Amino acid sequence: MKLALKLLFRELRNGDVMTLALAMVLSVATVTGISLFIDRLQASFELQSATLLAADGVVRSSKKLPNEWQLKADESGLNTANRAWFSTMVFTEAGLQLSQVSAVTKAYPLRGEYLIDTQLFGTGFVSDRGPAAGEVWVSSRLASLLEVEIGDDIQIGEADFRVTSYLVRDPGSSASAFAIAPRAVINWQDLDKTQVIQPGSRVRYALLMAGDADLLQEMQEWVTPKLNENQQWRSPRAGGRGIGATINRAESFLLLAGTLAVVMAGVAMALASNRYVKRHLAQVAVMKTLGATPKKIASILTWQLVSIFIFGSLVGLLLGWSVQAFIAYSLEALLSTALPEPGLGKIWLGVLTGFTSLVAFCLPLMTRLLTVSPLSVLQPMGRLEGKTLLLYVFGFIGMFALMVIYTKGFLLPILMVLSILIVSVLVAGIGFVLFKLGRQFTSGATSGWQIGLAALHRRLQSNLFQLLVFTLIIMLVLILTGVRSNLISDWQSQLPEGAANHYLFNIQQEDVARLQGMMSTLEIEESDWYPMVLGRVTQINQKGADELFGKGKEKPEMMSRELNLTWTDTLGVDNEILEGVFNPLENGFSIESKAAEEANVELGDEITLLIGGREYTQKVTSIRRVDWSSMRPNFYLILPKTILSDFPTNYITSVHVANEHKQAFYQGMSDYPTVSLLNVGDLIGQIQLIIAQVSQAIQLLLGFIVASGALVLVASIRASLDERLEEGALLRTLGASKSLIQQAMLVEFGFLGVFAGFIAALAAEACLFGLQVYLFELSASFHPMLWLLGPVLGFVIVTSIGLFAGRSVLKVAPMRMLQAL
Amino acid sequence: MSDSKAIAIRTENLVHTVNTSAGDLSILKGIDMEIKEGESVAIVGASGSGKSTLLGLIAGLDVCSQGEAYIYDAALSRLDEEQRAKLRGQYVGFVFQSFHLLPSLSALENVMLPAELSGDLKAREKAEGFLKQVGLSHRVGHYPRQLSGGEQQRVAIARAFASAPKILFADEPTGNLDAETGNVISDLIFDLNRSLGTTLVMVTHDATLAKRCERQLIMSAGRLSEAE
Ligand SMILES: Nc1ncnc2c1ncn2[C@@H]1O[C@H](COP(=O)(O)OP(=O)(O)OP(=O)(O)O)[C@@H](O)[C@H]1O
Ligand SMILES: [Mg+2]
Repeated sequence: MKLALKLLFRELRNGDVMTLALAMVLSVATVTGISLFIDRLQASFELQSATLLAADGVVRSSKKLPNEWQLKADESGLNTANRAWFSTMVFTEAGLQLSQVSAVTKAYPLRGEYLIDTQLFGTGFVSDRGPAAGEVWVSSRLASLLEVEIGDDIQIGEADFRVTSYLVRDPGSSASAFAIAPRAVINWQDLDKTQVIQPGSRVRYALLMAGDADLLQEMQEWVTPKLNENQQWRSPRAGGRGIGATINRAESFLLLAGTLAVVMAGVAMALASNRYVKRHLAQVAVMKTLGATPKKIASILTWQLVSIFIFGSLVGLLLGWSVQAFIAYSLEALLSTALPEPGLGKIWLGVLTGFTSLVAFCLPLMTRLLTVSPLSVLQPMGRLEGKTLLLYVFGFIGMFALMVIYTKGFLLPILMVLSILIVSVLVAGIGFVLFKLGRQFTSGATSGWQIGLAALHRRLQSNLFQLLVFTLIIMLVLILTGVRSNLISDWQSQLPEGAANHYLFNIQQEDVARLQGMMSTLEIEESDWYPMVLGRVTQINQKGADELFGKGKEKPEMMSRELNLTWTDTLGVDNEILEGVFNPLENGFSIESKAAEEANVELGDEITLLIGGREYTQKVTSIRRVDWSSMRPNFYLILPKTILSDFPTNYITSVHVANEHKQAFYQGMSDYPTVSLLNVGDLIGQIQLIIAQVSQAIQLLLGFIVASGALVLVASIRASLDERLEEGALLRTLGASKSLIQQAMLVEFGFLGVFAGFIAALAAEACLFGLQVYLFELSASFHPMLWLLGPVLGFVIVTSIGLFAGRSVLKVAPMRMLQAL
Repeated sequence: MSDSKAIAIRTENLVHTVNTSAGDLSILKGIDMEIKEGESVAIVGASGSGKSTLLGLIAGLDVCSQGEAYIYDAALSRLDEEQRAKLRGQYVGFVFQSFHLLPSLSALENVMLPAELSGDLKAREKAEGFLKQVGLSHRVGHYPRQLSGGEQQRVAIARAFASAPKILFADEPTGNLDAETGNVISDLIFDLNRSLGTTLVMVTHDATLAKRCERQLIMSAGRLSEAE
């Protein structure tokens, strides 16, 4: 072992071991950094969703929940809380008002916080407890409707309560979490006193739970079979359409891109160990003649690999951890929210990556050292060749396995391998022709151009390989830059400064003009006004949900709740017809594409709607794609005008209210007691947080990819270093000046770089198209910057690293090199 | 020659054939020989005649295709690689044409290497002694690239003798050196050979060097014959 480490340390100076160790550090760090960061991102998202739910898991019911469920949850060690909510009349001496009232136990909310204020229409501060017994918190809206202030009494059902705070945010009321509706919160103990809970009254109950994920899982498995049709289990991620889906997609994209960084690092490792092995074949053969047994050699090699592994993983883990910690820290400063700490459970992924890389890229080469015959010391050196086929096979299997582990599936890895293959063929084809042409046009060795182009041609195979590697790296850098700027600009264009942050619905026809007046005096921007009715999809092609999807099975969202339905004569800009024709004046429904997919609805299918006790059955005549992140009112179903005209028209619109206008706006809205108001500002904040997080993660990736790319470049130049040294020495002894050789190297690397950048831009454009359209569901766009950035980046990076790694060719005196040979 | 001396090396119909892309190549075509303990033997012959191959086979670096080679009655092809390696470490020393020092180890460390490989704890003292014997005690800490060819070969000789081998194999030990340095090196080898009683088997192109050996064997197209 001492000998092994001594040999290893002495080798550090030589660069190959260093390259190997650095490559190892990089791949471990990349994967660790990404997985930890995504872990935090996910955790932060889940925490935010949990805040909306006020718990990690909730059972909801329209009847009082069995006591034993609560007991079971308490016993298993979960935190629990209860909530009941109902609509009822709230009275004061001045009048009465229909309100949403909820009663909560002391522990509520388990996740998230109440925001309350002592000022009417204030922005609120956090309260760590709910109302005490005898207290009521009322929303500013309700207070102004009832004309009560803090300290006044109000009556709910048969009980009297004292108003102690204005309620700003009520966590856990799901979709209406932000609704600034007339609402009130009381203590659970006072629920019975109100006597509103009578047989037939519509009260909803929730048992809220929070705690360890495993315990919760256990609880869910225990409860689920006991649920009847009026009871549901809810988790933060369920219904994770929109944002949740975006995060998932971003995650697989990031990990996949990370895989490429790992592959690059792996290639660097393979190149380094190949050179290491080549240079050590003779040495190991000598050691064998000196009596080193195969066991001894194996143990020396094992010790060396193990120490590289330990060093690489430790430093890599540390680096990966620090980088993600740094990014999270900078995000905190940016967004004034702390991301949850990363779970250390994901660390094994980094270690596994390091181990797999070592096994896949180094071990097959290293075994060559075990099998080298000691007799070879008596033979000329030329006969010592490494086995390369085995290396490719092992390397491929190892990397593929990692990709499958990262993406938890085969589809993306296969796609990735295929696209690398396509790029390879492209690079090989174009490169081959170009190198040949370059050679044809120049002959002789009088200028740097000629020598450089000749060198490209001479090392055709290894240069094509380098070209491929550079192309892939530059391509990835371009794609990531493209995705990053795309995501950001796209989301920003959808969520511009003035993106709607409030929805107004239940607006009566006669209020529309007055409201518009108020908006314009407050300089509030509003979207289109859509007429709206509530309705339920009861049948598709004359079949009910049970028949279509099985009794007790999960129904598509479209059939599981009341839908907002509208009519319009022009589609919003965020709607795009995918199939069929949208004609508002003819019979037929227009359906949103995701909803259609979920419910297996196709063009021409018949949908039966129940609206206000009347049934309508019509064909689907168009399928629309809707951009839900636009924050404008949008609808699963758009009806023909004929149906809507049967009902009194209610309108919905969305507005952007600037912070400084909020108070005035809310006060103004108190003149419209029947209009419901939904504040989605928090939701927008959440989306913006995710954009910032994802774009930071991309930046992190970019850094790692550029670093591993640089390492591959260094390793691949070192792989041809011996040959280059020999050539350089020869040229110098023949009278070539230092600057001529430098010029030749500049031509060689510059050509490689520019060319790689060009193909990379081509491939990146294609990939971006695919990613935009299929993965991120954005509209396709052309990126002229890529075409400039690619070749420039390629030239700068490849030549500077190339000249750096090959500097010894210039530095070493020709005399010394001949001796060393 | 007295018969009382043990036989250090013996071969019986040694045949060696290698597979090449151009078909099987027969390098050694049946070689029978005996080398007694303490003898010095030169193997001469044209380039490509198979000298190095023979040397490697009788030193246990590889296994012959047919026949058998013995070192002190140990049939080499019946040992496994593990055992052959141990045998090399204990009984055999090498000096090569191109020195073959490990570049990442200093002169001293190179000489210590065989002892370290066999787990000898007094490696250092012994190594220093041998470096002194070859006249390099002032260069112990230098790396091979800081030494001239002749100096490197002296380190290699110190390394070869460091494990107190019974047999020293040398493949053109002076082939990469100028005549004068070559003489110094060959003097060194013969001196150590005599003082330690080592058996010496040397491949060489140098006729004068060959003459200094007690016996000369001539290799020609894979067959061996004794010189007059
Ligand atoms: N592993 C091998 N594969 C193919 N050919 C081999 C192998 N080993 C030896 N040879 C061939 O066998 C022949 C004898 O090789 P060897 O090295 O023993 O010759 P030599 O007598 O030592 O020559 P020189 O004096 O030039 O060193 C040569 O033609 C060589 O090319
Ligand atoms: Mg030879």
